[in-house]
Amino acid sequence: MIPGNKDTRDGLLFSIPFLTVYLLFMIYPLFHGLYISFFKWDILTKPSFIGLANYKTLFQDATFYSSLWHTIQFVLMTTPTLLVIGFLMALAITGSSPLKSVMENTFFFPYIFSMTVVSTLWAWLMQKDFGLFNQTLTLIGVRPISWLTNEKYAMWSIALTTLWWTSGFNMVLFGAGIKQIPKEVYESASIDGATYWQSVRHITIPLVSSTTILCLILQIIASFNVFGQVYVMTGGGPHGTTRVLVQYIFETGFRYYKMGYSAALSYILFLIILVISVLQYVLLGRKEES
Amino acid sequence: MKAQSTSKKILFRIIELLFIFAWMLPLIWMAITSLKLEHEVITKTFTFLPKHPTLANYTKAFTSTYILRWLYNSVIVSTLAMVFTLVLDAPIAYAFAKIDFKGRNVLFWAVMGGMMVPFQVLIVPLYLQFNTYGLVNSLAAVYLPRLALPIGIFILKQFYEGIPGELEEAAFIDGAHRFRIFLRIILPLGQSAMATVIILSFINTWNDFLWPLIVVNDTIKYPITVGIANFQGTHGTQYSLIMAGALVASVPQIIFYIFFRKKIIAGIATSGIKG
Amino acid sequence: MKKRLFVLMVVLLISTLLFAQGAGEKKKDGPIEITFWSLFTGGDGEFFDAMVDAFNASQNEIFMKNDMVKFDNYYVKLTTALAAKNAPDVVVVHQGNLLNYVPSGSLLALDEYVKPGMLADFQTAPLEACRFDGKLYSLPFDVHPIVFYYNKDLMAKAGVTKVPVTAEEFIEAALKIKKATGKWGLAIDNTTGVYKAYTLARLFMSMIAQQGGSLLNADATAPTFNNAYGERALTWLQGLVHDYKVNPPELDYDAAMNVFKLGDAAFYFNGVWATGTLEATPGLNFGASQLPALMGKEAAWAGSHTLAIPVQRTLDPKRIEAAMTFIDWMTSHGEMWAKAGHIPTRKSVALKDEMKALPYRSDYAAGAASALPTPRTPAWEEIYGTLSDMLEYAVTKNQNPKQALAEMEKTVKEIIATY
Repeated sequence: MIPGNKDTRDGLLFSIPFLTVYLLFMIYPLFHGLYISFFKWDILTKPSFIGLANYKTLFQDATFYSSLWHTIQFVLMTTPTLLVIGFLMALAITGSSPLKSVMENTFFFPYIFSMTVVSTLWAWLMQKDFGLFNQTLTLIGVRPISWLTNEKYAMWSIALTTLWWTSGFNMVLFGAGIKQIPKEVYESASIDGATYWQSVRHITIPLVSSTTILCLILQIIASFNVFGQVYVMTGGGPHGTTRVLVQYIFETGFRYYKMGYSAALSYILFLIILVISVLQYVLLGRKEES
Repeated sequence: MKAQSTSKKILFRIIELLFIFAWMLPLIWMAITSLKLEHEVITKTFTFLPKHPTLANYTKAFTSTYILRWLYNSVIVSTLAMVFTLVLDAPIAYAFAKIDFKGRNVLFWAVMGGMMVPFQVLIVPLYLQFNTYGLVNSLAAVYLPRLALPIGIFILKQFYEGIPGELEEAAFIDGAHRFRIFLRIILPLGQSAMATVIILSFINTWNDFLWPLIVVNDTIKYPITVGIANFQGTHGTQYSLIMAGALVASVPQIIFYIFFRKKIIAGIATSGIKG
Repeated sequence: MKKRLFVLMVVLLISTLLFAQGAGEKKKDGPIEITFWSLFTGGDGEFFDAMVDAFNASQNEIFMKNDMVKFDNYYVKLTTALAAKNAPDVVVVHQGNLLNYVPSGSLLALDEYVKPGMLADFQTAPLEACRFDGKLYSLPFDVHPIVFYYNKDLMAKAGVTKVPVTAEEFIEAALKIKKATGKWGLAIDNTTGVYKAYTLARLFMSMIAQQGGSLLNADATAPTFNNAYGERALTWLQGLVHDYKVNPPELDYDAAMNVFKLGDAAFYFNGVWATGTLEATPGLNFGASQLPALMGKEAAWAGSHTLAIPVQRTLDPKRIEAAMTFIDWMTSHGEMWAKAGHIPTRKSVALKDEMKALPYRSDYAAGAASALPTPRTPAWEEIYGTLSDMLEYAVTKNQNPKQALAEMEKTVKEIIATY
């Protein structure tokens, strides 16, 4: 640290450009949104103050709970799988295969495509009658699967799509962590007779734990905010069984014109994400330090 | 690691090749579909490759829409966003990393908290705000809300913390003041981290959909995500057209990736290490 | 070099700020430029665009700029724009959505701007649907009820000579077709794909009305479908899939269309907008008629596209007049719009030769008379969407009809209470 009694002044000066934009386009609308949640407002007529009524309704709203549950389902389905697959991919690309560069590029490539492209592509792949998956299954004599039209499979299909789309990102993060581990550690383990998987379990995994935690936190935040790919692929169906909370927030505000209620819903989501992120950081972060 | 037998090696290579193929298959399929005519797509006689490959879908995409203009809009908007995000993020990241000022921690967490906000909350207030400023239907409106990128600050801060303090102290002793140190020493050192930030910002802004949809009125001013969704909306289930459109919409990103591949991956990797 | 690049960026940034608004600020000489947001996609979109082009070509005073928004997001965009008084000169609003915009004064009351003689040329029912508290807030552009399409070849193959009318006749005919050809009798969509399976809700509503009941009560404050009428309608829909197996399960809107297009189903229910697509399908030999009296008298769900003029920040009589001229022209050339399958709303159009020459449309145009009005409640959008979901569930899972109806009734009551 540069010693100096001008730290506070400098600190603030350096922060001002960002903070100005942040205050204008993030903080102000955020609080404005909170303000709106205490009103009944259909965006076109004058808002009417109703205090905490929106929040009261929220806690008795069955659709709120079902949407929240669907979001949680998505989080539970994608978080562990994305971490594990990302890690396994990272192992593959830091190993000794001559194909590792090809693998790195292939697995990462989907990440650069936009949500709309990925979702429409996979909705097409999984289309019940003419999609590639079912056409192939029919060809080999297997009954076609209703990937997106059967509630048992719909959310899993969306999770699969997300897996293809974003596991490359985790792969890169883990790959970097793995590359940090000095070769000598593996060599001495190998001399002691450890197998590959034992090395992975006892050396690799513990030593990339900080990366794991980072991935976990980012992953969970992103998964709680999921909306686009679900909306495009299933529209929240079949019969509302994949409707996630953000879709409900969107519909309440922009289809049913209940702006105040929509704002209240989004604040509750925000709080949930906040609490979980803080918990994660506190619990896992502390374990890290010890 | 113990040496592997040849047959095991071959087995592994085969598995790897299968995975590589499986991973690329969706994209290959997207390209193949785009070359088919509709009746080869919705048909009972399934063929993998098109019997009569055609560029008609691409012709339609280019002639019936403003697709080139949309791509141009996206390029402008995303480029400006990535440059200005860096201008905003780097100084404050440096402050968090290297300047011990009062309230630093609280401010840091307040800034990071921004990452958790679901965008839906902000849409209506932002729209009303932009309307007051008279900025609705301008290209600026598309990227201004995206300029403040907390994850960028996080990445840069991680990197800056790794720069040894001695470098700064030496420069300080030589009489340089903070801003000069920041400009001349810190910034040049942080190139890979900065590359990550601008890439993330570019991708983020490029993929934005709901906000530009609401704030841009004229079809010709749409960025590509909205424009292409329009195109898809127009053509319902004409999958071959939709795939062609999707592919065209992704070309700039593909080019971007091919050229900056190493930097992108290196950048993400670097940020992850310190995390 | 870096500095110059930076300056260039700043210049670019400032330029993006400058070219804000821009729409409709054309200067005095030359035609008045007015704007329109179109929500018509697919085949509809092409026909509509052709009409706008024809309008622009037909005169020099007004130029209509037409911008398309994907249907799904149209109302999001429209609502935010109306809130900021930023909407274009003319907008399309579904008749069922008018109630969301009228009370707030977002749409202009048109009574004083309508040209004399214009009103008399409109068919009464669709026109009155645009009146609220006695004032006219939009003009109907079309009526699009749910209609019935049937595959003539399949019917011939199975020896079904009479087009079925009642619900029982449908089951009979469908079974015959299944036996003789192995194809599906009906293709009623029952799950969400790109769109919800609104067909279920539309048929449900229609059948209740056909029996003499109605979905909601007269002032749209309470559900009235949890009764024998609702049960009969729901049981029929379920039976087709589960008991008689003449309707595919897990069928979404697009798949249903494809099934009929490929000749794999004999009977198809959809809005009139499907006519254009079906006509263009090679080898499809089909007929069309208004929705049959499945359960009693004739009644069919119908939507209606209406054209409205948003209230702007400053009232410009010239622009309003131009907008009205546009609306007049578009509605009086309804035979062009009928090519998309829709039923035009002006009496003069029905008399035109071009109109009479269009196949299929004349077969179901009479159905406009038995079109059901949309319940007048701001809760309608939510009720309609939620009922759609619940009907999908009830049909897919073959839920006990009494229980299903009770749950739907409870939910609808809860929804109404939140408005």
